[in-house]
Amino acid sequence: MKPSSSISGSSAHINAFKVFSLLVALILASFYLLSSVILPIIISFTLYAVIEPFTNYLVRKDVNHSLAIIFILILMLALSSIAISFALPQLLEQANLLKQKLPELFTQLDQFLDISTRKLGDFIGVEFNFSSILVSLLSQSSSLGNELLVSISEQVFAITLSLILVPLLTYFILKDYKSLRNRLMNWLPNHKFELGWIIYHRVTRQLETYVRGVMIQSLIMAVVASIGFLIIGLDIPVLLGIFTGLLNLIPYLGPLISMSLASLVAAAMTPFDPTMIMLAIGVIIIAQLIDNIIVIPAVIANAVDLHPVPVIVGIIIFGNLFGTIGILLAIPALAAAKIIYSNLYSNIYNASQNTG
Amino acid sequence: MNNFLWTNIFKRTESEVDVIARLWQQTPLFKNIPARHIRSLAENMHLRNFEPGESVFRQGEQGAGAILVVEGQVKIMASDVQISVLESGDFFGEIALAETDKRTADAFSVKRSRLVYFMKAELEEWTEIEPMLGNIFLINLASILAHRLYLANQMLSHQSRSL
Repeated sequence: MKPSSSISGSSAHINAFKVFSLLVALILASFYLLSSVILPIIISFTLYAVIEPFTNYLVRKDVNHSLAIIFILILMLALSSIAISFALPQLLEQANLLKQKLPELFTQLDQFLDISTRKLGDFIGVEFNFSSILVSLLSQSSSLGNELLVSISEQVFAITLSLILVPLLTYFILKDYKSLRNRLMNWLPNHKFELGWIIYHRVTRQLETYVRGVMIQSLIMAVVASIGFLIIGLDIPVLLGIFTGLLNLIPYLGPLISMSLASLVAAAMTPFDPTMIMLAIGVIIIAQLIDNIIVIPAVIANAVDLHPVPVIVGIIIFGNLFGTIGILLAIPALAAAKIIYSNLYSNIYNASQNTG
Repeated sequence: MNNFLWTNIFKRTESEVDVIARLWQQTPLFKNIPARHIRSLAENMHLRNFEPGESVFRQGEQGAGAILVVEGQVKIMASDVQISVLESGDFFGEIALAETDKRTADAFSVKRSRLVYFMKAELEEWTEIEPMLGNIFLINLASILAHRLYLANQMLSHQSRSL
């Protein structure tokens, strides 16, 4: 490579980074300003990505756009109400069962650790006291649980607000998003107008594919895991299946968490049967295999092209900064950042080559 | 008489959309596409003003869509050689509707010009809603690109013969 082009390349990187940082600062500032309604906005945009193909289908059949949106929204609300009314009693029953099982589970775990540490201590001649560690962990988790309950009661208002805001926001996003987008894009100066559209087009295409893909992926995982847990006779199979589907939204770490959760439920079953733990882990492994071999290539192949290391680091950093929302937003945010940066860089580099 | 303070200053006048729709309709890109569909597309197209000498795009830059000259004049240059001068009703940059890779020439506004953009992103959105019409549009686009390729081939063979 010629030295002049490498200098131009590095200065293009610096300039691209400056513009990129400005954009990130703007996005973070908007997040801060909208922090009280950010969750409903994210949910509404996710619903927009899911619902839009259906409204487009109706518009193709000569149905008025607003009517198509209202029809799809009402249909979705009706279907989710029916699903919840059928599933909620069973889910509550399963959640109650889990609540009853928890003390038993911790007792089993305590006994298991007690026996294991005694055996280990006898074997290597050093005395361990895992039980005290467990007690301290349990007391910490129970205080965490209390804090969670308090925060949930504080969040009741926010949840109610979200329940009202989400359908309204989704309706207006479906109806007016494109004209609002065009107004915003028209603010760009002439020499950045096309670049703005290219970045917008690539980012939205990738995000739409990703959101639609992970929704289908989670649903398939929830169904597969629920059927698997039902077959092996694990307690609370449907609730665990739903958790497995939801946790699958967190790449790499999600399956590990759902594996631990399923093992804990299996360990809490009476009589204590280590085979059940192995079977529960087996179900998650089989579900993961189905996910990796069939679902991912068919549904979300090439949705995001990211290396596993930045993904894991990104999830941890986003999780620390923004909590649960951060964990879920990490991958789409990283994918968007990659597209934005690479396009800014190539534009600045090409411009420097043209002027030079 | 209307008080100008109470008029919607952002609202595009009816005639402007009609002019854009009419000009697009006369291009081979929108051949066999009904006028009402062109008009509804034109309502959302992006009209931008360029000063004399202002660059519309440069060779090597990524392109986002096709551009129609509504008013004014645009000069197309490749390697400092003038290829053509476009006026009201002419369109250019349509390669970007097929592939947003790189612009193949420079475009400068000669006079104060009003240009309207039809973006690839919007073409894709439109073809999702109107696949039949989108198909016709894409066939038109393919024909135009094939014609341009034919002309380029002819020019190359002419040049190689003269060498």
